[in-house]
Amino acid sequence: MEEIKVGVFLSDCGGQLSKILDFNAITSFVKSIPGVTFVAQANEFWRGDGLKIILEAIESRQVNRIVVAESIPKVSEVAIAKAVEEAGLNPHFVEVIDLKDHCAWPHRDSPLEATEKAKAMLLAAIEKVKLMEPIERAEYPAVKSVLVIGGGIAGMQAAEDLAEMGFQVYLIEKEPFLGGLAARANRFFPTDDCAICIQSPSSLKTVANTSRKCVYRSGISELPNLKIYTSSKVVKVEGAPGNYRVAIEQRPRYVEIEKCIACNLCSNTCPVEVPDEYNAKLKTRKAIYITTPLVYPPAYVIDEKACKFHECAKCVEVCPTKAIELDQKPKQVILNVGSIIVATGFKEFDPSVIKEYHYDEYPDVITNLEFARMIDSFGPTNGAIIKPSNREPVKHIVFVQCVGSRDRRWNPYCSSICCMISLKHAIFVKETNPEIDVTICYIDIRTTGREHEYYYERARELGVKFVKGRPAEIIHDPATNKLIVEVEDEILKKFLELEADLVVLATAMVPPEDAKELANILGLEIDSDGFFKEYNAKLRPTETMHRGIYICGGATFPKDAPTASLHAHSAAIKAAKFLMNGKIVKDLKVAVVNEDYCGDCEFCPVTCPYNAISLVPKDNGRLVAKVSDLLCEGCGVCVGTCPVGAIELKHLKNNQILAQIRALLSINGSSKPLVLAICCSECGHAAVDSSGMAMMSYPANVRVLRVPCAGIIQVQHILEAFRAGAQGVMIVGCKPDGCHHGVGAQKAQRKVELAKRLLSEYGVEPERLEMLNLLFIEGDKFAEAAKKMTELVESLEFIKLP
Amino acid sequence: MSTIRFMEEIRRRYGGETIALCYQCGTCTGSCPVSKTSDRYNPREIIRLALLDNRQEVLYGDAIWLCASCYNCQERCPQGVEIAEIIFTLRNLAIREGKIPKLYEEFANNLVASGRLAPISKFLEKKRAEYGLPPMKPVDIEAVNKIFSATGFLELFSRSKGEKS
Repeated sequence: MEEIKVGVFLSDCGGQLSKILDFNAITSFVKSIPGVTFVAQANEFWRGDGLKIILEAIESRQVNRIVVAESIPKVSEVAIAKAVEEAGLNPHFVEVIDLKDHCAWPHRDSPLEATEKAKAMLLAAIEKVKLMEPIERAEYPAVKSVLVIGGGIAGMQAAEDLAEMGFQVYLIEKEPFLGGLAARANRFFPTDDCAICIQSPSSLKTVANTSRKCVYRSGISELPNLKIYTSSKVVKVEGAPGNYRVAIEQRPRYVEIEKCIACNLCSNTCPVEVPDEYNAKLKTRKAIYITTPLVYPPAYVIDEKACKFHECAKCVEVCPTKAIELDQKPKQVILNVGSIIVATGFKEFDPSVIKEYHYDEYPDVITNLEFARMIDSFGPTNGAIIKPSNREPVKHIVFVQCVGSRDRRWNPYCSSICCMISLKHAIFVKETNPEIDVTICYIDIRTTGREHEYYYERARELGVKFVKGRPAEIIHDPATNKLIVEVEDEILKKFLELEADLVVLATAMVPPEDAKELANILGLEIDSDGFFKEYNAKLRPTETMHRGIYICGGATFPKDAPTASLHAHSAAIKAAKFLMNGKIVKDLKVAVVNEDYCGDCEFCPVTCPYNAISLVPKDNGRLVAKVSDLLCEGCGVCVGTCPVGAIELKHLKNNQILAQIRALLSINGSSKPLVLAICCSECGHAAVDSSGMAMMSYPANVRVLRVPCAGIIQVQHILEAFRAGAQGVMIVGCKPDGCHHGVGAQKAQRKVELAKRLLSEYGVEPERLEMLNLLFIEGDKFAEAAKKMTELVESLEFIKLP
Repeated sequence: MSTIRFMEEIRRRYGGETIALCYQCGTCTGSCPVSKTSDRYNPREIIRLALLDNRQEVLYGDAIWLCASCYNCQERCPQGVEIAEIIFTLRNLAIREGKIPKLYEEFANNLVASGRLAPISKFLEKKRAEYGLPPMKPVDIEAVNKIFSATGFLELFSRSKGEKS
């Protein structure tokens, strides 16, 4: 093995640092460290002449490990690593530390102490690179094909985008027809046009000469590399990002899509009539049916539960194209895809559990979606607004908002679109049937979208009555067959009894019942409301904790059509970006398992935020952890979880952490007791950066160790810090629910609590250990906490852990 | 009797056109000098009752007569609801139905008799002389009454008086 030769490059930031730090003392100290073969000083090292010095030292084989003290390390370390790699050295042999923001500036009032701290920081970095092992770069082939789950607005848009970009796309829909919830909604705000209208593929424009059309006529099915599976669901997913094997199960349609000409003869002949769920049970349909004339695929389907099959088979006789095959069986299809997009949407909450509204008891109490079917000219009443109980015309309609949403008994969240749906419906009623009296009972009207407020304004202008108050009960008067809505007008503090022929419930929008099952199959997280959870709600709203799997549309939360479209296009871009090169390139900064120690526990597979760890059987049946290099993000939460130390990070091994702790605490140089701050490299370390950048001062006895995530911290690291001479330890992580690796900050908090108990048993005051959850912009809080911790440990007796 | 909604009735009259835009924010009541000193007058509540078609309570209550016509509410309304105008419209509707408070009836009697809301008192004349002001000129009652009959005021007034007795 080649001898380790460390080069140390000290930037004095255009002469700024040498005003505070004694560079001569630092240089002679660094030169005295075993393994250091080269020390240089310049104005800057991450570009220009300074960078040339590093590269020449590598090329002349004077150094093979690099430590650079440079400002703005988050930028400079990328530039230096890139140049170093081009010079033929493994880019992970570089360690960049920040002597400006972490030392000179915050300690500018005590230059001598700052110089000593700089020595400790450099020593820690040198010890770390000395123990660094090369990190390989791996390449994985990626299949340029995408599975889109869900054929509603979002799914269709994402599928269309990707197919047109040249990816092979499989679009699967659990219902026999595309369109999802949207297809039933009749009209959409904010354009008031058809809900089933989608973007036509632009590559077909020359042929079809259309820009957007209903699903039926959009031509989406004609895209050469888009394959649509209806009545299908995912049953199994194997493999890894870039290369999944997905098993889907397709229920039989009993009608050949290619042969069916949708002539309606079968349906006319069919003797079986069942309530039409699609049309809110306002009419019946046959056992062989289509939902509305404008559907894709334009082919009939047989309702397995209702059809008598060979007992009857009348439809088979009349079908002019012999399209009906009663012996079709379910089939399984295996798809090989590189990426998966989940666009499973949402559904209407079933309000029958809210007993006071008697939804399942009174036929004249319906939901907004059922009302949408009623006003659809293709719908069960051909657009006539009637009382379902006796099919008589309606004089008074009352809409009830927040049914099952903003209700902690059912769904605590606001479904966000129901106000607009009711306003849209109220306006529609007033514009088409001005004689109908319309009242909306609401808690708050929420019209936050573009042009949405105009709906509210328009509804008021059209004479829609608004009653602020959530109805307490809906009562049916059998004598008149009318409904009475009991509600307090909160504004007037008056009890009202609103007479209604039809009550429309603006029900909550909830996740589909099979969302959880799909999440389990895909290894995705579900949030407390039951929707798919994104990687980061703010900046990565279509990504999941699982690389290669994306989410969009209503699957993450109820959305209106424009937002679902936006989300879908965004997910399509993410999937395309992931697969466009046909391969995934990754530096293996991952966790590695020591199989000799591992076994008989499942902490890490359960804890890993990226589902990267699985258990595989080893000899004599023992289960050991196996890390997927492709899925692992190298956060180290597994390291912090492992009870026997059998797993560590390739890029930050345990001996490197311990060596740095010892090095940072080996030199004090100040009269104050040493404090170690272990910071996650996300928000925690950034908060330390920002306190330095803003020139906030804190004492130089505070030393900073950077780890990928606070979740990596083990109790032994904390104890080691006290053993090495620390009098206080601070753990700095992200906000608990803002942890960049999901659970790291919470895990660290538990370690801190555990360590506090242990310390008490050693007779050490537990206040010497503190957990901070900071943001980048909270540098002031870090400086404040560092000062406080120093004052605290100064007031306590000196301890030395054995 | 017409089946038209009370809100619709107000909206079709001059001054009442904007009533439906109200979303009950309360800026009017918060701005109202009368509401500050008395809880008998609340413009937001009057509009609310009107929007719920509570004709009886609006027209036959005392509230609408307490407005001081300062127009603060109307200036500040974020939806452009002409509240002060609506109050006048409501008063007109009330008078049309014979609901007229004593004080307003006196005003009307004075107007018809002297052309002034309040008669010129001896006290007033004495004071004016003390300050060296000329005596008040009598109003051309004939001209005023011509206006009254042209605008239908007399008819309206006599009707409301007639209905009362």
